[in-house]
Amino acid sequence: MVSPSNRSRRLGLVLETWNRKLHFYLGLYFLLFLWLFSFTGLLLNHPRWALSRIPNEPNPPYERTIDPPIGDSDLVRAEDVMRQLGLTGEVECPPQRPGRFDFNIAIPRRAVQVRVDLAQRRATVQEIERSVWSALRISHTFSGSRYNNPTSSRDWLLTSLWVFAMDALAIGLLVMVLGSYYMWYRLKPRRTFGWIVLFAGFITCGLFVFVLGWR
Amino acid sequence: MANYFARHQRRVMAQSSGEKTLYRWTRDFHLYLGLFVSPFVIAFAVSVFFLNHAKVDTSASTTVETFHDLTIPAGLESARGREAVDRARDIVSQVGVTGEIGFVRYVPNAQRVILPVSKPGVETVVEVDVSKRAAVVSRRQTAILESIAYLHKSPGPHNADLRGNWFWTRVWRWLTDATVYLVLFVSATGLYLWFAMKAERRIGLALLGAGAVTFFGFLYGLAF
Repeated sequence: MVSPSNRSRRLGLVLETWNRKLHFYLGLYFLLFLWLFSFTGLLLNHPRWALSRIPNEPNPPYERTIDPPIGDSDLVRAEDVMRQLGLTGEVECPPQRPGRFDFNIAIPRRAVQVRVDLAQRRATVQEIERSVWSALRISHTFSGSRYNNPTSSRDWLLTSLWVFAMDALAIGLLVMVLGSYYMWYRLKPRRTFGWIVLFAGFITCGLFVFVLGWR
Repeated sequence: MANYFARHQRRVMAQSSGEKTLYRWTRDFHLYLGLFVSPFVIAFAVSVFFLNHAKVDTSASTTVETFHDLTIPAGLESARGREAVDRARDIVSQVGVTGEIGFVRYVPNAQRVILPVSKPGVETVVEVDVSKRAAVVSRRQTAILESIAYLHKSPGPHNADLRGNWFWTRVWRWLTDATVYLVLFVSATGLYLWFAMKAERRIGLALLGAGAVTFFGFLYGLAF
């Protein structure tokens, strides 16, 4: 017969073991994602570094005859044009001028401007090809949505999957951090110094998050 | 369960004293540096959800104030780049605003200078009427998540010549760099600590492999 105190002790051990395992299982699964966002974060922080530069030289533009775009919104019309031109990516539609239908397509490796003359049924396509390195740096911020632009929204499947991956990495990091607090707290000899460094970290970070806005 | 810890204990005991010292130092550095950097990791992770999913109406100001009799620095209209920001800082200080100046835009027809100023918690636009020596200051208080998202993006890759024109932006840049280096160190030491646990190597390699397949799948779709 197992007593309740033994049962709770055993449950505690199981939780402790799995918390520890989860810490490095998540760390191993997300390792490359974490390194990608760390390196590209450095590049975003230092735009003057040679590695941070994103070349913006466009390829020569080309023209195609297209059928008039069909659809009840700019996005649907843009997707119709993209289907005819064999293009994919995240669509951004600026305000339209009469007789024209212009939009941009973004994916980390390429930026495309499509300018459609509706009367002539001609689409002029200008592409900017980017290196793999530049694409990696762009992928850090590639979410298809900007919080300060209520009209922007995701419309490409790969963007939604990438955002899901970013969210998953964020959740994974939070679980790892919270789990690590528990593991550290169980190590009695390391509690005091642990409190000191944790407090130092929270004070430093908290200064920026909470205090600077009041000055 | 007891076997798990016993195995771990036996493995540590089986190491030479040099290996034991390296293991213990690595574990302690992993622990303490990880604890220090953890609030920053939490801030960056939490703000990801805001950056990916939130929508904010940035046009609504919380307060609008007008200031008169300002001293307009000479050459403000013609100054460019960092020089323009340095002169604009003088006006920004006169109206009691602190923060990173985003850019300086001179509108010649209206003889106005537009100065967006940001810091965690407050977005401000200072609109200076050069001819009347007056300024309208519009402030928008931001919620805590937007403040953290601002820090996540700060100082950012745009207008590189102007960035870091506020002391605390320069400090934050240094801290975010430190966060990256510490995260890289903590992940590298984490790899070592995992690899030292023979019993966990197989499943760890499987997870590392699964992560690599997912990662390179995304890389192929986004970057090739």
